[in-house]
Amino acid sequence: MATENISVIKLRNLLLVTVPPDPDDQTVSALQEQVLQAMAQHECRGLVLDISTVETLDSFFARTIAETVQMVGLMGGRTVLAGMRASVAVTATQLGLTMGKALTALDVDRALDLLDSAPSGDGV
Amino acid sequence: MNAASHGEFRIGSESDIVAARKVVRNAATALGFGITDVTRIVTAASELTRNIYHYARSGVMRWRAISRDARLGLELTFEDSGPGIPDVAKAMEAGFTTSKGLGLGLPGAKRLMDEMTVRSQVGKGTTVEVRKWLRK
Amino acid sequence: MAKQPAATPTSPATGLGTDDSFRLLVESVKDYAIIMLDPEGRVASWNAGAERIKGYRPDEIVGKHFSCFYPAEAVARGVPEQELRAAAKEGRFEDEGWRVRKDGKQFWANAILSALRDKDGTLRGFAKVTRDLSERKQAEEQIQQQAREIMELSTPVMQVWQGVVVAPLIGSLDSQRTQQFMERLLNRIVETNSPLALVDIMGVPTIDTQTAQHLIETISAVRLLGAQVVLTGVRPAIAQTLVHLGIDLSGILTRSSLAAGLRVALDMLSLEVVAKNGKP
Repeated sequence: MATENISVIKLRNLLLVTVPPDPDDQTVSALQEQVLQAMAQHECRGLVLDISTVETLDSFFARTIAETVQMVGLMGGRTVLAGMRASVAVTATQLGLTMGKALTALDVDRALDLLDSAPSGDGV
Repeated sequence: MNAASHGEFRIGSESDIVAARKVVRNAATALGFGITDVTRIVTAASELTRNIYHYARSGVMRWRAISRDARLGLELTFEDSGPGIPDVAKAMEAGFTTSKGLGLGLPGAKRLMDEMTVRSQVGKGTTVEVRKWLRK
Repeated sequence: MAKQPAATPTSPATGLGTDDSFRLLVESVKDYAIIMLDPEGRVASWNAGAERIKGYRPDEIVGKHFSCFYPAEAVARGVPEQELRAAAKEGRFEDEGWRVRKDGKQFWANAILSALRDKDGTLRGFAKVTRDLSERKQAEEQIQQQAREIMELSTPVMQVWQGVVVAPLIGSLDSQRTQQFMERLLNRIVETNSPLALVDIMGVPTIDTQTAQHLIETISAVRLLGAQVVLTGVRPAIAQTLVHLGIDLSGILTRSSLAAGLRVALDMLSLEVVAKNGKP
């Protein structure tokens, strides 16, 4: 199964990544790669991960997100997870998953607001 | 009990993990589980399928509708001929971390499902059975 | 419960149902299915109650194995044979379960299987007395359904204005109620796009460990969505329980009353408005 194309959009100096509904492991790993490359290329101060269509969030995905958040932090950016579904939040909590130091927002709009108002690059 | 409510899915590649999720999602939804329970079941299946792929390279997932005392449920069985788990009890307590290393998906799957049994023999393989019942 | 026919001193222990007046009694009873099985489990006699409850006429069923009254998956698991063995061993076996009528419809039944032995202890067959409990089962299910509805009514999640939902919890919280509440709260937050949820537990007298965990889980789950919980009305008893359980409350915003929580909400919203439009 071919890796799905992840769209990475640069918005002002932020990155907006829309995650597909049920990405396979390869896609998730590729996402991390693409994000880090884009961060380096554009010197972005933040990343918004739109997970509003994601139906399953298992430990692999959570781990990759947590790693990505850390790496983005080391590169001077903050990450916001936007639009998690209620059923996914219930399951993730029951599983005991954490997404590292990612911020969260109800949707992409609020995520962008959050990054605009939050101080950037605290290396978290 | 419907005749067509069971199936089997071979696991042999990494892309089979997401394919298995889809199979389970369809089965759970068809049985009438609500969206939150479907998500729990699919996530548990993802963990257990990934276990098979990463530890045993290949295996099989079976699913079937079950009933007990007039309640309907879904049973998933994950079987492989991999290295086996030396200490199942310890594996069940294993801290579920997001740090490097896989961390066995067993404790996670147990939290998400209603029932779980694990049978494993070192050198022979592992069979994990999980069940979730439709809420009354 | 009807008497087992062959156990009475007046009926001869050699045959099945050979005492005329007793036979009349058994045959006429309509509320219970009273039937006899041979030692292998085949139907040997049938009464009016059996015809009414199970739907078969005597000529259709005598000689057939009694496993035809059980659902397919019970037969597959060997349940009928297990019951015969248990009755033969212990003398009787009673259970409640699903049975199948001639028309295929299932009904909830209470059934007692009794081993019939003659003077030297030889197993001559079994007596089976079955009662249709469908009505009682329906009533039970209705009560459960009503209990669920009451649970939902009593843990409402209301949107008070743009961006804030309020959930006043009242009464004792058990694990199930808290889990259902969590799902409902999360769904409302997403539906209404509310970044703030005021959860008031002034009306909750005590909570146990499991419920406290679920409450903390709820707060974590709300955070994952991108919203925040303000917990209000924490009573001294609950504060004690939470602290004694060693639950980390550092990340949780709390206020003593719902009113105070609402003030937090107002503040938060005002800030947001100012930031977006530059208007006071």
